[in-house]
Amino acid sequence: MPALAREAWTFDAIGTTWSVEARDGFTEAARADVAAAIDGFDRAWSRFRGDSTVAALASGGDAPAPPDAEAMLSLYARLDDATDGAVNPLVGEALARLGYDAAYTLAPSSPRSAPRRWRELLTWHAGRLRLHEPATIDVGALGKGRLVDRVLEVLARHGVTDVVVDASGDMAVRGRTERVGLEHPYRPGAAIGIVEVTDAALCASAVTRRAWGDGLHHVLDARSGTPVRAYAATWAIAPTAMVADALATALFFDGGPALAADVGVEWVRMRTDGAVEWSPGSKAELFT
Amino acid sequence: MIRTTAVPRPVRVGAALVGVAGMMALAGCAGTTDAQAEPAATTGSGSSDSGSSTAAAYKDGTYTADGTYRTPETTEQIEVTITLADDKITAVEVTGDPQAPQSEQYQGRFIGGISDEVVGKDIDEIDVSRVAGSSLTSGGFNDAVEKIKSEAKA
Repeated sequence: MPALAREAWTFDAIGTTWSVEARDGFTEAARADVAAAIDGFDRAWSRFRGDSTVAALASGGDAPAPPDAEAMLSLYARLDDATDGAVNPLVGEALARLGYDAAYTLAPSSPRSAPRRWRELLTWHAGRLRLHEPATIDVGALGKGRLVDRVLEVLARHGVTDVVVDASGDMAVRGRTERVGLEHPYRPGAAIGIVEVTDAALCASAVTRRAWGDGLHHVLDARSGTPVRAYAATWAIAPTAMVADALATALFFDGGPALAADVGVEWVRMRTDGAVEWSPGSKAELFT
Repeated sequence: MIRTTAVPRPVRVGAALVGVAGMMALAGCAGTTDAQAEPAATTGSGSSDSGSSTAAAYKDGTYTADGTYRTPETTEQIEVTITLADDKITAVEVTGDPQAPQSEQYQGRFIGGISDEVVGKDIDEIDVSRVAGSSLTSGGFNDAVEKIKSEAKA
């Protein structure tokens, strides 16, 4: 095994486990600023807490636009275009209908598609984020990646530049190379390949995670409000974690590979029948 | 239909052949030989006439086969074109025929490879510093799943 980082800082946030490793460790000030950044993001975007901005907007209305609104929602517009509407930031109600709601009832009712014309219903300009009709914003397609990028920025301000931020499936590496195993979606503890990540982000998504029943998991086709079936797992490598996370989501749908080619993202994905596809230029070593 | 040719790296050649063969079998039809074989630009092996390799089991050339495979939702059709030189695959082209018409132009265009033979290796046996995709989710979600499982049993 290669020498691991000298200090690992592990904590739970936004419903998952984070591990941050830096060669030189972290000052208390750096830790406090990271915690504050995560808390601010959660207060803006979490649909799992009643005091968040998106919870306040669920019945319609407007609020000061959170700092990440422009970056995330404009990328959603690209995802929407590329996937012909399969990825949609108003998919929160569709997720809740399947049981993935703020109370984690996990009791499914009939599916509901997300509003196709979300770009008319959800607007962001002049510093205001506005929902013109009741709807539930869910930035799950790329939000965790965005937060990984924000944490990296905070750490960089504190001079922490040799670091890995790993938010359970979404990770970013700066100042070093990490050899990362691509975990088999159906065989925990096994990997289908290895990829080296240097000064980049690798985001993974699998339908076997956040799954709560027969065919029920968190990757939905917004057009039907039902979980995707064709692909089981995706991995995408990009300069930023937000883009890698977004593409990992898009790769569950037709149009994902084309968008990846447009933005220069390297990827691997596994179909639910076990076949694996990868991007031209993929440097992943896949086990055969 | 836009196509692109992806040249697999040598390490994957064997797997690509297996995958393609598997899809041919699924389709229930033999590959059709394309007489005008185009040598792949990246082979770099120089020009060679097919008579030079007497031990070759397969004739050099470009072969195309249609394949069908089923996903839980749809039946997908693809066309696979492989270029053989000295019994080695020098190029693979996969062209899709996806069900969604809007994406028709994309599917074959960017898929760099396809293999049915990818296997899992124990993470403890491979030299990696971390794992992506593993990350069992924590917190309320898993708690809720466990709760529901126990309630479902009762």
